[in-house]
This record gives sequence, structure tokens and C-alpha cells, in this order.
Amino acid sequence: MKRIFTKFSVLTFLCLLFINAAFAQNITVKGVVTDGSDKSTIPSVSIMVKGTTTGAQTDAAGRYSISAPANSTLVFTYIGYVTKEVAVAGQTTINVALASASQQLDQVVVVGYGTQRKIDVTGAVASLKGDEISKQASTNPVAALQGKIAGVSITNTGTPGTTPQIRIRGLGTIFGNQAPLYVVDGVWYSDINFLNPGDIENMSVLKDASAQSIYGIRAANGVVLITTKKGKLGAPTTVNYDAYAGFQKVTNQVKMANASEYAQFTNELSVLNGGAPVFANTNLGAGTNWYNQILRDAFVTNHNVSVNGGTEKSTYNISLGYLDQDGIIKTNNYKRYTARVSNDIQIYKNLKVGYNITGVMGKSNDVPTTIYHQLYAAAPSIPVFNPDGSYGDPRSQNLGDGANFNPQATIDFNNQITKQYSVTGNIFAELNFAKHFTFKTSVGGEFGQFENRKYSPKYYATYAQKSDASELDIVRIDTRNWIIENTLTYQNTFNEDHNLTVLLGQSAQSNKSYTLNGSAQNVPFNTDADLYLSLGDPASRTVSDAGSRITFASYFARANYAFKSKYMLNASIRADGASQFFGGQQTWGYFPSVGAGWVISNEDFMKDQTVFSSLKLRGSWGMIGNASVPINPTQIVVAQTADLTAFYGNNNIPLPGKSINTLPPRPIVWEKGIGTDVGVEASFLTHRLSVEADYYNRKTSRAIFNLPILGSLGTVSNEILGNQADIQNKGFEFSASWNDKTAGGLTYSIGGNIGYNTNKVLAVLSGATPIYDGSTGITNGYTATRTIVGDPIGMFYGYKTAGIFQNAADIANSPTQSGAAPGGFKYQDLNGDGRITSADRTTLGNPNPKYTYGVNTSFAYKNFDLALDFQGVAGVDIYNANLAYRYGNENITKDFFDNRWHGEGTSNSYPSANIGSSANSAPNSFYISSGSYFRVRNAQLGYTLPSTILNKWKIKKIRFYANAQNAINIFGYKGFSPEVGPVPTDNAKTISTSNPNTTLNGGIDANVYPLYATYNFGINLTF
Amino acid sequence: MKLHNKKYTSAVLGIGLAITIASFPSCKKSFLDVPQEGKQQSTAFWKTADDAAAGVNAIYGNMRSWENTAFPAIAIESMGSDDADKGSTPSDASFFLDFDRFTVDPDQGNISGFWNGQYRNINYCNQVLQNVPGITMDATLKARYFGEAKFIRALSYFRLVRAFGGVPLRTKLPTDPNSDYNLPRASVAEVYAQIESDLNDAAAVLPQSYGAADLGRATKGAALALHAKVAMYLKKWNDVLSYTNTVMGLGYSLLPNYEQVFRLANENGPESIFEIQCALVPGNPAASNSQYSQVQGVRGQTGGGWGFNVPSAELAASYEAGDPRRDATIIFRGETTPEGDVIDKVGDNPMYNQKSYVPFALFVPNFNEGAQQNVRILRYSDVLLMNAEAANELGNTSQALTSLEQVRFRARQGNTSILPKVTTTDQTALRLAIWNERRSELAMENDRYFDVIRQGRGTQIFGVKGWKAGRNEVWPIPQSEIDLSGGVLTQNPGY
Repeated sequence: MKRIFTKFSVLTFLCLLFINAAFAQNITVKGVVTDGSDKSTIPSVSIMVKGTTTGAQTDAAGRYSISAPANSTLVFTYIGYVTKEVAVAGQTTINVALASASQQLDQVVVVGYGTQRKIDVTGAVASLKGDEISKQASTNPVAALQGKIAGVSITNTGTPGTTPQIRIRGLGTIFGNQAPLYVVDGVWYSDINFLNPGDIENMSVLKDASAQSIYGIRAANGVVLITTKKGKLGAPTTVNYDAYAGFQKVTNQVKMANASEYAQFTNELSVLNGGAPVFANTNLGAGTNWYNQILRDAFVTNHNVSVNGGTEKSTYNISLGYLDQDGIIKTNNYKRYTARVSNDIQIYKNLKVGYNITGVMGKSNDVPTTIYHQLYAAAPSIPVFNPDGSYGDPRSQNLGDGANFNPQATIDFNNQITKQYSVTGNIFAELNFAKHFTFKTSVGGEFGQFENRKYSPKYYATYAQKSDASELDIVRIDTRNWIIENTLTYQNTFNEDHNLTVLLGQSAQSNKSYTLNGSAQNVPFNTDADLYLSLGDPASRTVSDAGSRITFASYFARANYAFKSKYMLNASIRADGASQFFGGQQTWGYFPSVGAGWVISNEDFMKDQTVFSSLKLRGSWGMIGNASVPINPTQIVVAQTADLTAFYGNNNIPLPGKSINTLPPRPIVWEKGIGTDVGVEASFLTHRLSVEADYYNRKTSRAIFNLPILGSLGTVSNEILGNQADIQNKGFEFSASWNDKTAGGLTYSIGGNIGYNTNKVLAVLSGATPIYDGSTGITNGYTATRTIVGDPIGMFYGYKTAGIFQNAADIANSPTQSGAAPGGFKYQDLNGDGRITSADRTTLGNPNPKYTYGVNTSFAYKNFDLALDFQGVAGVDIYNANLAYRYGNENITKDFFDNRWHGEGTSNSYPSANIGSSANSAPNSFYISSGSYFRVRNAQLGYTLPSTILNKWKIKKIRFYANAQNAINIFGYKGFSPEVGPVPTDNAKTISTSNPNTTLNGGIDANVYPLYATYNFGINLTF
Repeated sequence: MKLHNKKYTSAVLGIGLAITIASFPSCKKSFLDVPQEGKQQSTAFWKTADDAAAGVNAIYGNMRSWENTAFPAIAIESMGSDDADKGSTPSDASFFLDFDRFTVDPDQGNISGFWNGQYRNINYCNQVLQNVPGITMDATLKARYFGEAKFIRALSYFRLVRAFGGVPLRTKLPTDPNSDYNLPRASVAEVYAQIESDLNDAAAVLPQSYGAADLGRATKGAALALHAKVAMYLKKWNDVLSYTNTVMGLGYSLLPNYEQVFRLANENGPESIFEIQCALVPGNPAASNSQYSQVQGVRGQTGGGWGFNVPSAELAASYEAGDPRRDATIIFRGETTPEGDVIDKVGDNPMYNQKSYVPFALFVPNFNEGAQQNVRILRYSDVLLMNAEAANELGNTSQALTSLEQVRFRARQGNTSILPKVTTTDQTALRLAIWNERRSELAMENDRYFDVIRQGRGTQIFGVKGWKAGRNEVWPIPQSEIDLSGGVLTQNPGY
């Protein structure tokens, strides 16, 4: 032994294979967990070896298998049931009947780098079980969180294959990607669109800074921990097949003006601009409804097969997934194939090794992003096709810019395919030694290739939609990310009452990507095999590339102490080094946290009371970092873009130009989030009613983002990065749930949650200057938001309208206003100087939602089950940028047409057809409206075949269901959807980074992406 | 066993520590020291003569930008004049009407666009002026680079001071955010003083001409001609006369055919004093980025363009009878151009700018129409007319008449029945004749608007369109700039 030890201390990496017979003897315990009253088996019961972090769950048939020391005690917990402890005492089979009424606080939850009993958690952590996720029939697991967790808001983007926007407790950061950190089986991701919802075992959302701070650098936007499904030791092979098929249908479609109305409107506009009427005859009937022409009821189907089980020493889970989703725009389609394998092997009694590998292939037939605005703007007076079969051409009606396209031609001549290949996962080893220690090492990574190819043929559709040469554009992005993590955990119980867990860890990461772009003209296209740049005109070929690499190095430690399950203390610290900050003032950031909990109901003086089944108070404080900062912002680079190329003389020889057109930012230091959280958890009436309430206050200090800078500085972007502001988010969260079973056999639960968040800018570090932004989708260079100390971030800012100018006398009698014309907005002269100037602008609305809420219900009676989920947002404003986003003769909504000013006395709120003029398109109160909405998020009715039938077929379970998502939406907003998400992109890869300060553009609706509902029929099969 | 366990524990802890240290890449400084991929660090730049050349190239390349040559330039420098109308279709880019009618407000994006565009020029010039002195290289070439940078900087400040009045004067790169980022407006006189100083420096070092490979760079003649124009705006007539006299001795001449001055073959020709160099390079659309011709091109015809900034009816009516420059300046609906393009009889606009016109046959698919057309900034005829005006102001009538006649002689193209020689010796009448000649000669070259204002005739000529003295001599300072300055910048009167 001695010799072996010496050797191993040298060959360090071989520790993974380490064995020692001296460790406590583990045996495999198996059994079935049933309901104490009706003897039905209970799936997903959590089984823990008492005093350890070792755990297992029952499968669909209520069976479990766990490796536990022969002298240990197993703890069985399940929501709605009393927790039961059973001493193993050498038994290999332990069947357990659980009594109803649960000890909810004894549930195990996944936290950073481990699991904890819910009762021991001192931060705000919410989790969602895998079956609740897969039940929603969402294509992306993040969508399943909508309305489920207080303080978590989800905004759907609508493009198939993209992950919805998720925000945890308001906006923490401003710059760049605001997605939370996703940790899937220990590997870090910024997006999880590769994950099949059916593979998820559990999702935990770390909501407060103390829970997040163990993830330091990447925790600024919250952390979502995901564990995937695994097999169980000694469990027989189980095969699951889950599938659904259905369609997505546009709802709440905005009505547009028809052809006659459009013609009348266009004539008015032309006359107002001093031109002649465009249409001699405005009686054109209804014309083309472009939305009907281009949108469709889109088919979606998803299939998932998984096989799992285990032997005495190993477990396995293999799953295959297939998603085929049509977009609501004709020709748009996304297909995703996923394969996932996980394998855990107990090589020796104290050494477990395993891996999780996911392979994914996504293929998207893209539609151009421009199509959405085209549908909105397209002239209804144009036929889709002329009688001779040619495309209806806006030029034939002299419509000019703004409506100079035929959307049918846009999609017909768009040929863009995006493919995404990725292999990701990790391999790990876990060594238990000296009774109380666990050493875990994990190496993970993501190896991805993104391929995009676009072929624009030579074609003639309309005057404005044509191409005189074909062009092939190819984009390749290689991703190479790796992460190594080592953790050492010490766990011990002293004198029965003192429970101590100490975690030490270290991590290193590297994220690298490389992008290659190429294009060539006149590439032949008979088959896909022709699509090579080298077949194009040599003179037309272009190539460019770009890359990025970021590295992180980290150390972390955490201690959890609990006394008699009454008092808990947690403390952690993480130190992160980030390459982005290298060379600046601080390469390293330090992120501590502390938390304390008091389970009052476990106190002796509470023994005799009957009001509370459980009662716990908790409080925490923590600090987190934000790594979503551009790479090495303090390094100034040389600009050598093509537009700096000089030509001298008449020979057109390009001479590259190089210079510096950015300014060195001030030294950038870490942006930190500092949060406190106070919570109370209680349950009543023998655990049937449970409530949880939280108050939180989080300050984002020295938030990093781009700030507009003076144009006179002469930089190319007119923005500079820096530590710009301190921002505060504070609020309350409340959730309650009621679970019960009636004497008649109806099991039901009703849960509700609400989050209230307020956002305030505490300081603008670059001085008292307000930050103006929000020009996205606003014409004429106007900025629509202002961020100022004391207000929420990115408040809408502009003029207040006082009505519409009716005639020249009205204008003469009003304060002097530049560009005033009858039918134009009359702005309020707030400073009373008799003139409308920029000094008359004021705060118009708040794009940050105050309330997010959800109501989730489920009912089960005999073989039927029903789930109804409702969800909504309140206290938020939207800027409807589409109305004035005009360059010419764009179409207009029917609402605007009906209510517009078109002569004296016709309207005193809606302007004339000239809404796009400089004076009228200036941000003003007319464009602001409430973004509150309420929706029936999910409705699902299921039926499970009786086991008497199934037993004959040797099938364990068959369940059929029908599901409707977003079927009913109620809102007052006159745009397409009150969910104003990020700008959709042409492909399924990324959210646009063209304006990285997304927060300062929040709530500006320039997307016109229609809202849709999804209807599915599905089956769950287990055998 | 117990002993074993202890040893075991320490051993494994040792292993853990060893692993941690081994995989502690952060211990090695290099793990976090990651340079930006695929980007040249500024610390490695401004070291060699090639860097200096590239820095100067960037100045010229950037002159093609949208802000310098397209919408913002048209909005600020052309739309207010009586020579140009918005064009295109009535509802298209209707913001131009606000410039045409003087109802524009300080928020309008083309105001900040023009402002930012000029300051970008100035930054590229300052980069060269501040960084090239430290480079070890040929002293003559270095001095020439300074002269080129100073010429472009002067041109940019001239465009700014005409458009906005006094503006922040940046003559060095901003380094300290607290002191030299947020500069107040300098006075008009201070801006002009800087322009004159730069032009003096430029004229002293710039060569009279270049070889074929460097054609189009700023010359001594360009510096002097621009200085003459600046002096004309300042009514420093002696300077105007002296600078123009010098330029007239540098060998420039007028092309016999006026229409041909604006064709590709005659770019950088004997009449050219300074042009913004543009090109169309196959395979390189990003460098073939000029939209100068495209935005003004004949709307609705392949190879044409968007049809903005069109000649006005007033311009068409302003020419003397038979003046060939009318036809050479204006493309009329239904005409056949000298290059053989047949213009549709039915089109969106009755007239288009012929000076930005590139024959349709030269259009290359997937490139901007007319990307190859240089933008004429200073021509010899402008110098002659400045010379005439200065001479007239100084009482030297005969020189005034001689210089004026040179321009009219060429315009006549041998046809003695048109454009009679101006003979008046009355200073007022001759002044008016010279002003009218400037209009006909330089129409659609972004000269007219500010020319009329400096002549003091704003109300007289643009008043019908809404121009008001005491307000419209300058455009408003961009609102965004005032907002960002936190009140350091003040708005022009009346906005």
C-alpha cells in the first residue's frame, strides 16, 4: 500500500483510477416506492443516502436503485408526502410506502457544484422537474420556464431554433449577451438550443446573488443548472417514447389597410409632401393580404426515444431526438437531430467515472429577417402575381421606396441554409476517500461547427428585386470551448447535530471561435454539389475571417453548516481571472457570499402548534460578476477596413488604408452585482398549502456598456465602452401552491407566483449626463430612450403630444414648432418658452416590466389529467416604432387608417398620413402604449390507458394528450405582440449583436414578428 | 486500517493539490494574456513608412464615405439651394423636404451624419499629424504627408464652419476624457484661422503635381485654390486675388468640352484641382463604396440610381439662352445622353443631375451604380471665377473681365451666337454677372447654397422657400451632440 501511495502522489492524474478497499462497504439497495393509501407507485421520488450527497430517483414505475453503505440510512422524499427514513442495515431490497402530506422542505435541490436539501438552502433557488418541462411540448427547454417561477420572465423570439430571451429578476447587465449561464452536467454554456427538452431531469434557477456567486464571473444574468437524465443502478431496461405533432397558428393578427384604403392613404401622403396623387383610381377592392399570402399554419413534430437502465455497477441512458418545425413564414423550416449518451460506471467501490455526450445537428431553411417588415409594409394594391405569371411589381403603380418589394419574390428567391453541428459533454471521475471526502474532476467541452450558405440567383422578379449576377456566400464558424473543473468536498456530521460540508474547487476555461466568410459571383447551381466558391468568377471572390478567444481561471470555496436542521450558515467565495481584463487594472475579481437560515418549525417551542407544517426564514448576501464584456476592450486595434482603401490616379489600384478610429476606453474594472435576499418559506394544513416569499435588492455596480460619445471625437462608432452606471433592481416574489387529493380520487394542485421588480439607475459614472439611446428601428436618427440617475434604465423619452394641428390658424396659435403642418402632432411646450425645442422632451414610459406572474394548475382524476397554465406581465410600456418607421409608401395598419387625421376635425390624436415626417416621427407619447398582457400559456388534457389493458401488451404506460400553447392572449397593444424580444436574425445561430446595448433599446417594437399559438397532440409510451 | 486511512487521506489531498496546481494555468501569466484574435494592436502601428502611407491612404479612402458624398452632404450642402429639389418619389426620404423648406429640426439624422462624417475626416488627419512625426522615414515624403493631412483637415473644417458656424476645434487627438473630450464651440474666426493656418502649411510643402500612380492626392494648387475660396467667404479679396493668381500660374486649363469635364475619362484632368477619388474594383465591393452617383442617378433605369438631389425648374430656367451647360448639367426626361443612354420619357422626375452621371453601360451588377465616379471638389473654372470676383471687388475690372471671359469662352464651345462676352465695367453689374456665372458653371456641385449665403442674398433668393436671415445662415448643431456635451455646446440662434 505504501508503495502505491508514493507512486500515485507522483502520477497525479492517475488518481482517477484510485482504489482502496478500506472504504466503507457500499451495497446496492433496490425497491419500489408506493403511495401509502392507494398503493400506486410513485415516480421521481428522491432517495438520498443520509448525510451524503449521494442520491437517486424512482423511475416511472416507482422503482429505484441506489448504492449506499450497508450501515447507512436512506431518506425518501417526494412532494406531497411525509419524508421517510429507513436504515439499510444490510438489506438489498427496501420497499417503502410513503404517507401523504409531504415534507416539502426536505426535497433535494441542485445547487452550484452539488445538491442540497431544500431545507438547507439559504438562497433563492427554484427548480422545475423534467416531466414538467417535457409536458409542455416546447421545442426549447427555456420556453417551458415561462410563468412557472416567480421572478423569471421569458420572451419568445419566434424564430424556430432560437432560445427565448430569459430574464431573472430584471435586468442585471446591459452589454452584450444577456442570457444566463447554463450549466449542463457541469459544462458551461451561453445557449442551450442544442438540448432536447426530453433529456432534462431537472432545471434549477439560481435567483439570488448568494446562490449564483459560486459561478462568479458568468453569474450576472442568473444561472440555470440543468441535470440530464441518467439510468439507475440495477434498474431494468426502460424504453420511453415521447412524441407530439401539431401546428403553429398566428393569433392576434394585426389588421392592415386593404388596397382601396392603402391607395387613398398613399395619395394623401403624396399630396401632403407636395406631389400628385399616386393612384388615379383608389377603388381597388381588398387587394392582396400579404400576411395571408406568406404566413401559414406551420407544422411541428417532435420525437424522442430513450433507453435507460443499469446494472449493479453502471447506469446508462441513451436518447435520440428529432424535431421538425416549420416556421410560420412559408419555406422556413428547422430540423434538429439530437443524440445523447450518458454512462456512469462504479469502477471501484469508491471510484465512479462517467460521461455525458450530446451530439446535435440542426438544419434551418432560413427566411430573411427583412420579410417580417416587408409583410407589414407591402402594398396591398399589388397582386402577388400578374395574370401573365410575373410577379406583381410595385413599380407598376409607381410606389417608390418603402414598399418597393413583393414579399412572395423575397421568399421565392431566398435560398439560405444554416447547419449547426456540435458535440458537447464531459467526462468525469468521482473519488470518495477517507469517509468524508469526495474528489471530483471533470473535463468538458463544446466542439461546434456552424455552416451558413446563401445562394442568390440571377433573377428578375420586380424592378427593385432583381439580381444581375448570382452570388454565393459561405460562412463557417468553428467553436472550440473547453472547461476543466476539480472539486474536493468534505462532508461530516459531528455529535449528530452539527452538519458541515466544505467545498474547494478550481476551474479553467477557454472559449475560442473562428469565422471564415467567402463569396463569389456566377457560381453555377444545378445541384448543391456546384456550390463551391472556386466555381465562381475568380475576380469576384472575396474572403475574410475573424476570431476570438477568451480564457478564465478560477478558484472557489464554500462551507455549509447546519445545526440540528434548525440553523444553517453558508458562505462561499470565488476568485475569477479573465483574459478580457488582462492588462487592465484588475485581472482578477473576487466574489464572496454568505447566507443564513432558521427553520423555526423545527424548534421545540413550535412542536405543539398546528398552524405551520413548516416555517423557515432565510437571508443571504452575495456578489457576482459579468464576463459578457468584449474581448480585451482596453487594447486599441488598428482599423483596416475596405472603406479606408485609397485609389490614386485612374488605374484603380486599391491601396489599403490603416488608421485608428476608436478611442482608448478608460480603464475598465469588473462589473459586479451585489445582492441581498430575505425569504420566508412556510407550509400549512399538513403541507397542503405552501408559500414562499422573497424580498431582494440587487445593485449592479459599475455596469459595463457602450455609451454614445460626441461625434466630434471622430470615432467610427460614436460609442465607447466603459464602467458607466450603477443600477438597482429590487422587488418581491411570492409564490403559493395548494396540493390536495379529494376523497373522490381527484388529485390537484394550484400554484401561483408573482414577481414585482423595480429598476433604478443609482449613478451614472461618466458624469451627470443622461444616456440617450434607443434609436433601433426609429427613423431619422432619433433616440427614444433616456437613462438618467433616479429613473429606471432606458426610459422612453420624447415629446408629449397635445393633439393634432387642425389648420394654419391652429399652428399660428400654438407654440412655435419646427415642421408644424396641419395633421401633424402638436407637442406640449413643457418649459413654456413659446417654442417646441428638445428641452420640451420628457419621460414617456417604462420598458421594464414591473409585474410578471403565472398561475399553474394541474388536475388528475382516474386516468385523466389536465393542466392549465396562465401567465402574464403588467406594468410595462412598449414603443411602437413600426408606425413611423417609414421611408415612403409603406402600408399602414387598419387602425391607423381608420383613425388618421385627413382634414380639419377628423382626428385630434392620430396624425395625418405624413406620420413618417421628421416632425411626426420624433419620439412622442403617441407611440407609447401599455405592454401588459395575460395569456393562457398552456392547456393540456391527457389520458393514460388503464394498466389492465397495458399489462396484456407488456407496456408500462401509454398516455395520450392534447396541448395548446399561447392559445388565448389578451392585451391592449395595437402592435403584433406585446412580447418585444430581441431582433430576430436570419438564421438560428445568434441574436444580433449589431446594437450590443440591448437594454437601452428595450421595449422598442420594430420587429413586427407575429404572435402564434401552438396546438399539439402527443403520446408518452413506456415499456 | 486507521493508519492507512490517514496516509491515504494525505496522499489524495496531495494528489488533489498537485492536480490543482498542474491545471492552474493561471499561475502562468500567459493563460489569461490573450491578445485579440485577428487584429493588429495599435502599439505595433505607426512604426514604419508603410504605416505612414497607410494612414494617409485612410484619409483619402474615408473621403468616399456616405457622410462625405451622399445623403448628409446633399442635405447640408445642396438641398437648401434653389438649384436642387428632393427628387425620387414624393414620399421617399421626405426628410429632405425639411432641409429644402428650412423646417428641419436639430434631431434630424443627416445633420449629425454630416457633422460626424467631417469629424471622422479630421480624426484620420490628426492621426497622421500626431503619429507620423515619430516615424523614421524620408523627410520630404513625411512633410508631404503632413501637407496632405492638413489640406483634408482644412477642407473638413471649411465644410463644418459653412454648415454650422463655430464648431469644436480639434487639432490633436483626444487623450484625456476629463479635459479634451468635451470641447466647447470655437468662434467662427478661430475655425477660419485654423483652416488658413493649415492651408498655408499645406501649400508650402505640397507638390504642384504627382506622377500617374499618385494622381488625386492634394496638391499645392488644391491648397491654394481652397485657401482662395476660404478667403472669399471671409471677403479677404486681396488674398483671393493673390492665391488665385498663383494657381493660374500653375498650368491648369479648361477642357474644351464642358460636359466632358464630368466623365470618367477626364478625371484628374487639366481642369481638376481636387477630386474625391472613387473606383469600382471587381471583387472588392467594400472598397467600391461610393454612393455619390447612385443616390443621384436616373431613377428607374438599370445603371441609374435613386434619383435624389435633382435639378430644379428654377435652375433649368436660370441659364442664358443657348448655354450648353444647361444640357450638360441636367439630364432631361426623354433625352439621349451624349454617351447614348436613352432616358425614359415617363419617369419619376423631369430632371436628374448629369454631373454625377455614369453611363449605364458601365454599371456592374451587385455594385453601387456609378461607384467609379470621382466627386469634383475644386475645378479650375471656380478659381477663375474667384479671381474675377476678387479683381472686381478690388477695382481691377479688366482682370475680372478677362478671367470671367475664360470661363464663358469655354462654355460657348465655339458658338459665338451664345453667351456674349461680358463687358460691363460697373462693379455691381459685374459682381452680379460673376455670381450668375458661378451658378451656371458650378450648378449641382454643392456650391450654390453657401455661395448665395456668403453673397448676403439668402433672404432675396431662398426667402420664398422659408429661409430667414439671422437663423438660416447656418444649420442647427446636432441635438445628440448638444445632449452628449451636457450643455457645453450651445445651439445656433433660432433652433
